[in-house]
Amino acid sequence: MDNLRDLPNSDGFFGNYGGKFVPETLMFALKELEDTYDQLKSDPDFLKQIDQDLCHFVGRPSPLYFADRLTKHYDGPNIWLKREDLNHTGAHKINNTVGQILLAKAMGKKRIIAETGAGQHGVATATVAARLGLECHIYMGAADVQRQSLNVYRIKLLGAEVHAVDSGTATLKDALNEAMRDWVTNIDDTYYIIGSVTGPHPYPMIVRDFNSIVGRELRDQSIEHFNAFPEAIIACVGGGSNAMGIFYPFVSDPEVQLIGVEAAGSGIETGKHAAPLNDGHPGILHGAKSYLMQDENGQVIDTHSVSAGLDYPGVGPEHSNLKDSGRAIYLAVNDKEALDAFHMVTRLEGIMPALETAHAFAALDHLSGKFNKKDNIVINVSGRGDKDINTVATMDGISLD
Amino acid sequence: MIRLERKFASLKENSKKALVAYLVAGDPDISTTLELMHQFVLSGVDIIELGVPFTDPIAEGPIIQAAHDRALQANTSLDMIFSLVEEFRSKDSETPVILMGYINTFLANSKALESIHERGTDAVLIVDVPGESSLEDIGIQNKNIASISLISPTTDNDRIQKICMSSSGFIYYVTLRGVTGASNLNEDEIQKNILNIRNSTNLPVLAGFGIKTASDARALSQISDGVVIGSVLVEMIQELSEKKDYKKIYNYLNEISAAINP
Ligand SMILES: Cc1ncc(COP(=O)(O)O)c(C=O)c1O
Repeated sequence: MDNLRDLPNSDGFFGNYGGKFVPETLMFALKELEDTYDQLKSDPDFLKQIDQDLCHFVGRPSPLYFADRLTKHYDGPNIWLKREDLNHTGAHKINNTVGQILLAKAMGKKRIIAETGAGQHGVATATVAARLGLECHIYMGAADVQRQSLNVYRIKLLGAEVHAVDSGTATLKDALNEAMRDWVTNIDDTYYIIGSVTGPHPYPMIVRDFNSIVGRELRDQSIEHFNAFPEAIIACVGGGSNAMGIFYPFVSDPEVQLIGVEAAGSGIETGKHAAPLNDGHPGILHGAKSYLMQDENGQVIDTHSVSAGLDYPGVGPEHSNLKDSGRAIYLAVNDKEALDAFHMVTRLEGIMPALETAHAFAALDHLSGKFNKKDNIVINVSGRGDKDINTVATMDGISLD
Repeated sequence: MIRLERKFASLKENSKKALVAYLVAGDPDISTTLELMHQFVLSGVDIIELGVPFTDPIAEGPIIQAAHDRALQANTSLDMIFSLVEEFRSKDSETPVILMGYINTFLANSKALESIHERGTDAVLIVDVPGESSLEDIGIQNKNIASISLISPTTDNDRIQKICMSSSGFIYYVTLRGVTGASNLNEDEIQKNILNIRNSTNLPVLAGFGIKTASDARALSQISDGVVIGSVLVEMIQELSEKKDYKKIYNYLNEISAAINP
């Protein structure tokens, strides 16, 4: 399995997936980014700066926390939580933006753009842009602007401009389309901070590398806490950045099971979901080849998920390769299961997970009997749920006004 | 492909510039597209570029995006577009037809693409495939259609050479940094870049993106082998499709045609 860790290849492919499928105008910017990253990724000053930012600005390392009551509830393996929800701004997304903003700075870019679904990546981008005093524009589907209104306001408070995108399905994929259009137009002075392990090469690699701090910490922490690597790691998968960040450092340790969890929306069988790895087939969207929800004519299908951050028809190319190779498996849980898990974890552990993260917790129901009581499994708590309380209240039929 | 070569040879012989017109197939419906194609030719258009609608057309500005949406709403599939071209050929055997779209829809129809030359299509232009890849590289087996590539103001010399090597038909020079329908043309830069491209290829070099007025078209045709007009036409199609009276477009095309070949 060693070779899985050495990907992507120089063309940006993870096996059959990935690549650079973009309009010509962007090719130069991707090359510029690739060269810059290549040069800086082993530069001691650059790495030191990132370490310092992750420690003092983000608040890393994030704890590995034993979920005592959740473990008792399931009466199965020991359940540990990797607490990315405790990061500054409340999710794993900041790990990536802290790194990419330094690339932008090194490249002399003055203007920052990003897409966002749940708004966490928008907040994380606006945060690092504010810190460096850079102009910042966030693209967000109009439907997501509605359901993640708290984050929209946070982004504005941080001095960034929010552009609501009405085209297509008015969700994350359309925000990405619009960010790409902005980038083509303002290519000379603009840096595009993609928020997941998606998009054309080198983004899937760069976003993975910056998020891999999570998995690297977990290697040390698991030895420290239970003197072994975990039996399994469970993470939700939208584009797949929190999952890739915690999986990647363990890809060459086959004894560690890697379990991704997609959004089944109203249920896989209804077709109304956001689970390309479970119910899509390979195609090309947003610059990379990967599993994709599409019809027989190659048109992208509308997605459905209660969670804005998972409501995306594609997935990072490295996940497609991990799936095909069998190194990782991908489950899917529906809206109701995720909502139930949200309430359960909040009540049992005093930790309110993001609705995205709630999908990872809900997978526990699908895994009962798969592990021994002395096993240790880790759930990546990709973010906290404050942003979702309006959605949860609505789904529970409660008015907050 | 042979139609494209013949067309450019005859334009050259007569010292004329090419007028390429873009419209989205199936906007507002396939039969209107067929009528427009024939009328375009009568109005001075040399080459027709048919946009293949896609749900996520990232290189398009709002006008053409909306046209893609309308065509999809009318359930336009690539297969219907192949048939449309076939039907167009029953009355017009000479005007080259190019399909311009996004790779995912082409790959979903890769089998059918193997024989589209027999159904009258001359070339494809796939916006989100880097120009140095051949059609074969991306899984399309058809040596009888031309593969037209984009070169943009940000393409470096190394890539220009590679792209020219794997292109056929003509080179499509994207005149601006931006999406279709934008308007920030910089003539000096365009001229310099087109001259530079000519060092790497003998293929005709056409200019497109952002050309709106007869004077834009005239200026750019003087420094290229022809111009592509898109968003203006698509906008007029939208505006006029309620009454289905497209005379305004034909007048406009006649005016452009006169401007580039006075
Ligand atoms: C808390 C949280 N988890 C997960 C995701 C999904 O993204 P990814 O799959 O890239 O980790 C998001 C995206 O917005 C998020 O906010």
